[in-house]
Amino acid sequence: MTAITLLQLFLLVDVFFAGVVASIAVRHAYAHFRPLPAEPDKPHSPATSDHLPAAVKERLLQTSQAHFQAVLDHSAAQLQRDLEATAAQINKNVGHLATEIVGDELENYRKQLDQLRKQAEGGMGGIREEVAKHQAEVESKLAEELKAEKQWLVQQIDTKLADAVGSFLLDTLQHNVDLGSQSAYLTAMLEEHKADFIKEVADEPEAAR
Amino acid sequence: MNLKLPDSVSSPQDIKAIVLEVRQYARWFAHASVKQQVSGGKVAEPPAMSPGATALIQGLAGGKPLTQTALDGLIEALEVFETKAPHMTITLAAPPPESLKKTLITWCRQHVAPDILVTFQFNSTLLGGMVVRYGSHVFDWSFRRQILAARGKFPEVLRHV
Repeated sequence: MTAITLLQLFLLVDVFFAGVVASIAVRHAYAHFRPLPAEPDKPHSPATSDHLPAAVKERLLQTSQAHFQAVLDHSAAQLQRDLEATAAQINKNVGHLATEIVGDELENYRKQLDQLRKQAEGGMGGIREEVAKHQAEVESKLAEELKAEKQWLVQQIDTKLADAVGSFLLDTLQHNVDLGSQSAYLTAMLEEHKADFIKEVADEPEAAR
Repeated sequence: MNLKLPDSVSSPQDIKAIVLEVRQYARWFAHASVKQQVSGGKVAEPPAMSPGATALIQGLAGGKPLTQTALDGLIEALEVFETKAPHMTITLAAPPPESLKKTLITWCRQHVAPDILVTFQFNSTLLGGMVVRYGSHVFDWSFRRQILAARGKFPEVLRHV
């Protein structure tokens, strides 16, 4: 009994809310398809303008214009000064920045040049060492060749000189031989080699017969 | 027969000459002996001989009468001596005088062998000294060889002049 009652109560509440939602939807639909006509703008009528004379109005207007013009001039002048100061500051900053950039670039360029110069000096130093080493080797080899050539020439000269002197002595002395003065020498030679001579005679007695 | 040759007979050529002289003397001796036995007359003069041959024949007789057999024995002994005796050749720079020959032969017979035969030759290119050949051995003691051997020293000597 209680559960049925609660269900019925729940259904009744649901019906109620469904009716509310349906009425709202109808109203919105009606408002959408049948809009109300727009109300005309109400004119702003100054409250006091109708109460001041025209001269006053004119004077107030002129005063306001003058004051507005002064303020405007002052603002323009100040704006120009600010603009000039800003331009000057910008120019100064641009110049400073350009100087700094150019200095940095020059510094980098100088460093690169120094590095390249050091590399070139290193390369040139190696080449110079190689050239000096090769020059020393060539000089040493040349000195050895010159020495050998000199020794060979001296030896050749000595040989030719010895041949010339020997031939001269042989050709000169054979035309004037005096055996009389050689008797003692011949006997001395036999005495000097007597032992060898007797040994040969004793070793080959039959060969000489 | 034991021969003792005089120093003037030193070479095989000398012995050959002696042999010829002894043969001539033996031929004359034979003719003279026959003629004296048959006719008893005067015989011809003996052939002229060298002092060496004369000394050998006189040494052969030894005070006894000379016979044909002794002469034939002498000839045979000389021919055997020529083939058996040791032989030496000495080459000098010029033809040696007799005094030098005698000196060298005497020295060789005193110190090397008493019956040695020595032949002398000359070659002017030796300049001096001598070349001794005995059998197959040659002893070159000439000036030429000494000069050629010392040829390498000439430049050194000239550098110090």
